[in-house]
Amino acid sequence: MQLPPAAPSLAADPLLQQRPLQHVVVLGANGTMGYGSGALFTQAVPKVTFLARTREKAEQGLAGAIRQVRSPTVADRVRCGSYEELPEALASADLVFEAVTEQLELKREFFERIDAHRRADSIVATVTSGLSIDALAEGRSESFQQHFLGLHFFNPPNVIVGTELVPSRFTRPEVVSFVERFSDKRLGRRMVLTNDRPGFAGNRIGFKLLNEVAQLAEEHGVALMERLVGPYTGRALTPLATIDLVGWDIHRAIVDNIHALTQDEAHDTLRLPGYMAKLMEGGTLGRKSGGGFTRREGKERWVLEPKTGRYLSPSEIKLPRLDFIAEVAALHREGRYREALAVFADAPGDEAALARRVIAGYLSYALHRVGEVTEELSGIDRIMGFGFNWAPPGVLIDWLGPKVAAGMIERAGLPVPPALTAAAASATPPRFASERHDNPGRYFVAA
Amino acid sequence: MRQPEIYILGGYQTDFARNWGKEKKHITALMRESVLGALEVTRLDAKDVEVAHVGNFAAELYCRQGHLGAFFLEADPAFEGLATSRHEAACASGSIALLAASAELEAGRYSLACVVGVEQMKTVSSVEGGDYLGTAAWYEREAKGVEFPFPKLFGRLGDEYERRYGLKDEHLARISAINFANAKLNPNAQTRTWTMNERHALCRTEDNAPVGGRLRISDCSQVTDGAVAVFLATREAAERYAQRRGLSVERLPRLLGWGHHTAYLRFDDKVRSSEGSPYVLPTVRATITDALRRAGVRDVSELSAIETHDCFTTSEYMAIDHFGLTAPGESWKAIEDGSIELGGRCPINPSGGLIGAGHPVGATGVRQLLDAYKQIAGQAGDYQVEGARRVATLNIGGSGTTSVSFVVG
Repeated sequence: MQLPPAAPSLAADPLLQQRPLQHVVVLGANGTMGYGSGALFTQAVPKVTFLARTREKAEQGLAGAIRQVRSPTVADRVRCGSYEELPEALASADLVFEAVTEQLELKREFFERIDAHRRADSIVATVTSGLSIDALAEGRSESFQQHFLGLHFFNPPNVIVGTELVPSRFTRPEVVSFVERFSDKRLGRRMVLTNDRPGFAGNRIGFKLLNEVAQLAEEHGVALMERLVGPYTGRALTPLATIDLVGWDIHRAIVDNIHALTQDEAHDTLRLPGYMAKLMEGGTLGRKSGGGFTRREGKERWVLEPKTGRYLSPSEIKLPRLDFIAEVAALHREGRYREALAVFADAPGDEAALARRVIAGYLSYALHRVGEVTEELSGIDRIMGFGFNWAPPGVLIDWLGPKVAAGMIERAGLPVPPALTAAAASATPPRFASERHDNPGRYFVAA
Repeated sequence: MRQPEIYILGGYQTDFARNWGKEKKHITALMRESVLGALEVTRLDAKDVEVAHVGNFAAELYCRQGHLGAFFLEADPAFEGLATSRHEAACASGSIALLAASAELEAGRYSLACVVGVEQMKTVSSVEGGDYLGTAAWYEREAKGVEFPFPKLFGRLGDEYERRYGLKDEHLARISAINFANAKLNPNAQTRTWTMNERHALCRTEDNAPVGGRLRISDCSQVTDGAVAVFLATREAAERYAQRRGLSVERLPRLLGWGHHTAYLRFDDKVRSSEGSPYVLPTVRATITDALRRAGVRDVSELSAIETHDCFTTSEYMAIDHFGLTAPGESWKAIEDGSIELGGRCPINPSGGLIGAGHPVGATGVRQLLDAYKQIAGQAGDYQVEGARRVATLNIGGSGTTSVSFVVG
């Protein structure tokens, strides 16, 4: 297949020239992350091998990839096989991309086999969203460890460009810089260099908010929480709808992992609500089980009552007047984001205070994670924006103003991050969001 | 009399991948973000702007909103009292707004103008939107009751090339592939994350369905929401601007030349009137040669790049020989020898063009000018044409009806 030559700007990039990737091997190519990532690699790499337990499963993955990106041309660059062909495939692999089931022991078994057959200069990447990269690298050869890292694409990779890059403590710096540049320039990713902490950056901060909203839904109801932390607060999808989409089991795996392995100032917000654990015993998993926080009943959408496990019909749900949300949304509609956030910050009533508590918790938690999950706030901003499609903390702080943001956190009874305290006291506060030209207005949906 | 010089001080493009309908935004938000973005990147003060022009095709249809000039006041209260107007010439609306602004600056009426091109198109279904676009043709005679009239009209442009000179689908597919590939380098391009390549463009299956005659999905530009704002200035205002920023005014990109002509609205009439001409669309050719002549450019060999109106692959095919990159009817040669690719003799649409970057109808002419500016100023990032010194634009309304070309350098 004839391709336009790489752009001169990229052809001249010494870092990219250093390792021309010719062959990528994807393990677990039948899973959504496997084939989604595999499809992405076909955009920049001439040969991509899809491997799964059987050739048929790998072929199902290829079909999934074609469906996902809506182009049969993906097949031109893909060949499918079973894990029996792993040694042969590894002989020419420049990059091995592991996307098998999210189980430490299973992944380790694969890495042992990869270690035995890989070329010494090949890169090995795992798409894990939660397992420790250091732990995955344990017991492997020195060469493997130096060439191994986490490359966490978000699902589906053809739509969501935010990507976490997680080196282990052994990874060679030049391997990290190469994968970062390649993913940015050739795969169109927005890269975030993340520390090997539970949940990395995005899931740590994102699922903290999701879980907190699920906790609050027990007392305040699903419908009210979805409204209060709705699109007008800077997100395309409401929090509990997001949990339904990713699946309750995945949500539990992520928050349990973070809760077990971290200790921070908001530890309790990461405890899975008891009602969710109970309902999961009965098979509730979100969309994939036919219902979660909401369920379709004919043409209606019924809403879970966490206390009883019943689903309420729309006529049974009574929401209080929430005029401030309409007012904020009307300002977003005209692109007056700062004014909208000022209305949000000043809105009277318990409901507005509850909504502010969640947003304040997001800002406080994100800023306290700087230095732990990423070196700078810009990394957290990038993954929340391009991974979750949420207004990045830095954007919210800039548009609220540091003083207002600090006050909001304080009134919620949460710890105010020192950087914010300093900025609030400054006559010329610094800008918190560092990415320019990223159209931050996009995050604020007028609803 | 020597023509007064017009300077481009910079501007701002919204991310063309955004869907402002999904964000539930009004068109005022689009205009506002582009104007505030442009003020921020140029560090200009709203109160220094003396006149403003909006290029927009059909906000009355897409958004049920006219009188767009007045929305400048919603971007910044300092615009209260500003002289504003709105301009329409179908897909060339943005360039018409630029022409109006530059004419006023040349006449000495004002010294600093803001030009915004804006279109919000994802408010309606593709079929309904296609019908609205039909008003850029002679609606009653060419578009009424026709599903997607424009791909069919530009399919016929391909047929006319076929009749006169021969035309191969593989050359159109290559044009499509190059635009999509360039778009991947442009952080504001609508299709930057899409899976598109030459093989896909050659697909003759439902994955790449036919939309009008010989044209398929991969031959088409996109339905796009977007706005672009730029500032134009007289020499005097540009000197002030440069001085305050420690820049040399001589290094600021200028509008070196322009061309502007109109042909018959109906495609059949255009074709009939061009019988005997080596050019399929002679008025487009005249627009280009006027712009080059006024810019003091001998011919296309003095251009570093072109941002052209690839509303369909056939319109870019037409632009190649009309710019003189090849003899009439031989556009395929510049496609085959790599001339129009990044790194080639005269790259066309480093930005990705209308196919790759997107086509918010009224914004396109202004987007082309801003991309030309970025090339000259060395601000085009990964799609920079190394050492670009002169870049031409070609913006076309209707089926080759109103054409405008600028040379920036």
